[in-house]
Amino acid sequence: MNVDEIDAQIRMLAAGRRLPPSHLARWLAMDPASRAAFLDIANVIRLRTGQLMTALETLEEIAVREHLTIAGVLDRAEIRRIAGGPGSAPSRASALLEALRTLRYPRLKKMEEQIRSEVSALKLPRGISVVLPKELGSDELTVSLRVRSAAELARLLEALDRSRPGLARIIDMLGGKT
Amino acid sequence: MKFDLDAVFVEHGCAGSALATRVLRALARDVPVTYVADAREATRPASGARDPFGSGKRRTVIARRKTPFLKPCHAGSPRFACCGYLVLTLASNCPMDCSYCFLQEYLADNPAFQVYANFTDSFDELDRLIDNARGRSFRVGTGELADSLAFDSITSISRDLIDFFASRENLTLELKTKTDEIENLLGLDPRGRVLVSWTLSPDAVYRSSEHLTASPAARIAAARAVLEAGYRVAFHFDPLIAYPGAERDYLLLIDELLDTVAPKQISFISMGGLRMTPRLRGAARSRFPGDPMLCGEDVLASDGRFRTFTPLRLNLYRTLAERLRKAGVEIPAYLCMEPASVHESVFGAAPSRPATIGERLARG
Repeated sequence: MNVDEIDAQIRMLAAGRRLPPSHLARWLAMDPASRAAFLDIANVIRLRTGQLMTALETLEEIAVREHLTIAGVLDRAEIRRIAGGPGSAPSRASALLEALRTLRYPRLKKMEEQIRSEVSALKLPRGISVVLPKELGSDELTVSLRVRSAAELARLLEALDRSRPGLARIIDMLGGKT
Repeated sequence: MKFDLDAVFVEHGCAGSALATRVLRALARDVPVTYVADAREATRPASGARDPFGSGKRRTVIARRKTPFLKPCHAGSPRFACCGYLVLTLASNCPMDCSYCFLQEYLADNPAFQVYANFTDSFDELDRLIDNARGRSFRVGTGELADSLAFDSITSISRDLIDFFASRENLTLELKTKTDEIENLLGLDPRGRVLVSWTLSPDAVYRSSEHLTASPAARIAAARAVLEAGYRVAFHFDPLIAYPGAERDYLLLIDELLDTVAPKQISFISMGGLRMTPRLRGAARSRFPGDPMLCGEDVLASDGRFRTFTPLRLNLYRTLAERLRKAGVEIPAYLCMEPASVHESVFGAAPSRPATIGERLARG
């Protein structure tokens, strides 16, 4: 396909998905290889409107952060694996957005994984929940207990007390103490 | 003057003012000057301009300020542990063009560089302030809505300010800048009551984001020069940008600073992570789409601003605070627009009340 044919297909897909004009303009402003690469993945994975917008925005940011073209980002092994891999289109679309988010926020994703693994290692009983701040946007940890009897409360408080060092470590991690 | 201007507008009532006379005398001959009855229209974004904010910066408007000059820092909020800074607005907007600058949002509707011909009226406000709070000390800065020195070569406002503050025992003037425009300062005696402060960023941020500013090395050299001329100096690591490699670069920058300015000669250091409202973030990215510093690992925080996710941001604060602690002398330090819990986590102690911090920083 030549550039005009690719642009015509992009316009057709954008019209079909009711992509906002601002996003279509951003897509058409990419270099030709990036326009084509994004069209290719949008078709293969059948990205819906919201997914197209999120993917486009995230790709632009990754490209700026890493001094790459969008085609260069889409050519990375982890993205190609998702595009050409097994699974339904919706599951691959979710996987694609997740992979892009990992590229866009590498240290945040790593830190979230580390803290989640610390929370799992506490092996807290049912009835105690530990909720991390959304996207680690604060240093506040929420710990809640759900009980129906005084005995249950006593049991959960004991469990919580045993987990005190682990919880303290998680609070330290949220506060950037590594 | 190091910055280009496209046009100057002078409000009728200000035509004969000392400030207008100075500015018009210092202007390049080819800059058109227009006299207008009401300068407000000239401050608005130019319709049809590709970058109304950017083009607004290149238009100077000399007008009367009709609202008070002195206000508490607009960033102050009960949710933050603030430093008690008072802002003296003698001008608004800045000829430099930092991609992250909050003025892109704050002055979006009136981006022209405004400078107020009746700026000496602010001295009455300052006198009333100290008369009403005898015994207290205040730190007052002109570098919030404008760079304190960027246009000083044409306005010479610093000379009037230094003359005034040098004779007021309980006031400290902070001239905050990213320039090395210090010529007007060097021949004056500030009598210990004027502090010149520089925002410092590593070279990577300077090159990517701080357009038309003096280089970090030039800023540090200027600090050395004003120190020798009798001024106090301070530094703002604000915004701290947590790009990959930032920790190493900021530590090197601190080393470079402390090699030139002895720790005991630094009045204070502030730190503040990059924070942007969604509107500012949109405006900044639209004006500087290729700046990677605007695409950090920022998330929407509870104050409605995008900030670097908390563990990364706090770790960077702590690393820098630790380096400053090792300087051998205690350099007063505070965080800008962060809650008390973050101060406590970084410095190991709860912050003092804003008035107390403000007085401590003012007294030096």
